[in-house]
Amino acid sequence: MEVRLEGLTKKFTDVVAVDNVSVVFPSGKLTGLLGPSGCGKSTTLFLLAGLYNPTEGKIFFGDEEVTEIPPEKRGIGLVFQNYALYPHMSVEKNIMFPLENMKMPKAEAKQIAYEMAKLVQIEELLDRKPKQLSGGQQQRVAIARALAKKPRVLLLDEPLSNLDARLRLQTREEIKRIQRETGITTIFVTHDQEEAMSISDQIIVMEKGIINQVDLPQKLYNDPINLFVAKFLGNPPINVVEAEIVNKVLVVNNKKTIKVDLPNQKVKLGFRPEDVRIDPNGPLEANIYMVEMVGRDTSILCTINNEKIRGIIDSEIEVNVGDNIKFDLRKQRFYLFEYNTGARLR
Amino acid sequence: MFENKHNWKGYLYLAPALILILIFIIYPLFNTFLTSFKENYQFMTGEYDGFSIQHYMDVFKSSKFKVAFKNTMILTIISVPVSIVIALLISVGLNSIKRLQGFLQTIFFLPYVTNVIAIGLVFQFMFNHNYGIINTVIGWFGIGPVHWMDAYASYGEAMAVIIIYSIWSSLPFKIMVFLSGLQTIDKQYYQAAQIDATPKWRVFLRITVPLLSPMIMYITITSFMGAFKTYEHVLSLFGDGGTAGDPGNLKTMVWYIYEALDSSKKGSVAVASASAVVLFIVIMIFTAIQMYINKKRVHY
Ligand SMILES: Nc1ncnc2c1ncn2[C@@H]1O[C@H](COP(=O)(O)OP(=O)(O)OP(=O)(O)O)[C@@H](O)[C@H]1O
Ligand SMILES: [Mg+2]
Repeated sequence: MEVRLEGLTKKFTDVVAVDNVSVVFPSGKLTGLLGPSGCGKSTTLFLLAGLYNPTEGKIFFGDEEVTEIPPEKRGIGLVFQNYALYPHMSVEKNIMFPLENMKMPKAEAKQIAYEMAKLVQIEELLDRKPKQLSGGQQQRVAIARALAKKPRVLLLDEPLSNLDARLRLQTREEIKRIQRETGITTIFVTHDQEEAMSISDQIIVMEKGIINQVDLPQKLYNDPINLFVAKFLGNPPINVVEAEIVNKVLVVNNKKTIKVDLPNQKVKLGFRPEDVRIDPNGPLEANIYMVEMVGRDTSILCTINNEKIRGIIDSEIEVNVGDNIKFDLRKQRFYLFEYNTGARLR
Repeated sequence: MFENKHNWKGYLYLAPALILILIFIIYPLFNTFLTSFKENYQFMTGEYDGFSIQHYMDVFKSSKFKVAFKNTMILTIISVPVSIVIALLISVGLNSIKRLQGFLQTIFFLPYVTNVIAIGLVFQFMFNHNYGIINTVIGWFGIGPVHWMDAYASYGEAMAVIIIYSIWSSLPFKIMVFLSGLQTIDKQYYQAAQIDATPKWRVFLRITVPLLSPMIMYITITSFMGAFKTYEHVLSLFGDGGTAGDPGNLKTMVWYIYEALDSSKKGSVAVASASAVVLFIVIMIFTAIQMYINKKRVHY
């Protein structure tokens, strides 16, 4: 079932946490809601859940408008940032709790709890209390509890943020698997771009309550709509250098570089570290101040007119600190952004 | 290996408290126990004629003690559970409102800072047969007028007033403890319950009460102890501790102990000690039962 927001706004006393958001979460897909801390991700999720009432705007589940419908009637499953498992109930009781509310017979609820536990691979932990579980196991219990009542939409609020790096990798694949198996429309909140990229069918990038871009993960990376999205995605992050367009030529550090078909103006030039390619005839020039060997690749840290940039190059190429290098950009891949607003120039 | 070799320092810091406890609690406790077995004990001289369980026999045979024991049990068994339930409901109510919370909290807290005797007087006005507000209000429903506290009051009526008083005066502390407990419960449990369409009563019974159970256990145990020691409540309401025609029929165990002490009879201190030990044992038994139940029920 598709979920749609229309002009959704949520104002708290002194902030607009969600600002006129219109977006579609496609049916049966996993959508990542990505943005920095405080950008309104949780608020959006709580609006979807019905725990907050929107100041303005509408929410649709399929064709049905649910804006005024209370949370208990929306048929959603929500996994909280810190799971919110009832500490005094066993894993089984936790998973059965929503079912018992639906007045389901005990035997049937038990059966479903077992099936859910099996789905998230915790069936041997049913008698434990949440405190006796690891973070990853707790998280799976929370997912099982949210899925048990067969919700129409599954909402996950930074479910991996309490896990260590390895468990995080493992569980995010797990979530992806469960989502595929159940085919349930899922919204996954995170501030970790890598996590969002690896797990999502579609990503929504938010900033200060506003949606910047909605796209496929790779598209977001290759074709950012503005400087914020460009900077937010990618690790190591994109290089940004001040530049100016003079007579259809991009001038960087007082040197003419690349031809561009844009009117004269100050701009910001962005390019990804992995697109840096050392080339004696290259149009760009930088000075190396640090060289890091990272396995197969070499990471060079350079300055262009006091602005720091990073390049990832083949380790076969010999470079030294203090070298002035010339370089080109692979496949001519670079981005120009309006100097003040950061909007992409094409 | 890294153990602190200067452990004695810790005991030194504890010493003042320990010495005071020894002098004012441990020694009297021990002494009371010993005294309760002394025959013909003379308080002034400290003389006695050997040990026996005679005083215990006397206490158990005493009709006054039986009355006091019965009164204390009735009062405790009714007022403690009822006041805990009421305090729980009020705390949950207070915790769920935003406006007027501070104001209402103050109102519920008033009995805590009000003098017992003054409240006794206020109760005498409220429960007055002719013009008391209680009779006025129940009169609207065609009930009464009830005598409650006056010269013609029955035992049951008088006991009802004492129980109401005990419940009311014990609410503030309970509410305070429950409220502070409620405020430590993570809001997300309630949001999760709401999303899972949990009925309100089920949220209360299955989430609030279990998560509050350590507080409830603490309150239950201390309330039982307090109720068993009731004395001043009855005194402030019924100065002579009885209803008309039946003097002393409202007296409690502590009252009985106090009166046993008061008499100028030879060996009175020993009788009082014996009754105090009986009360001590009753409280111990109740506490042990609760500890046993709580061990199974309380979630930490
Ligand atoms: N109940 C509230 N009352 C007032 N302001 C709030 C409330 N909840 C959130 N806010 C504000 O709304 C903005 C968005 O908060 P939100 O919790 O949605 O951010 P988030 O994207 O989930 O951040 P994080 O990644 O840190 O969880 C923040 O500025 C926050 O301070
Ligand atoms: Mg959040």
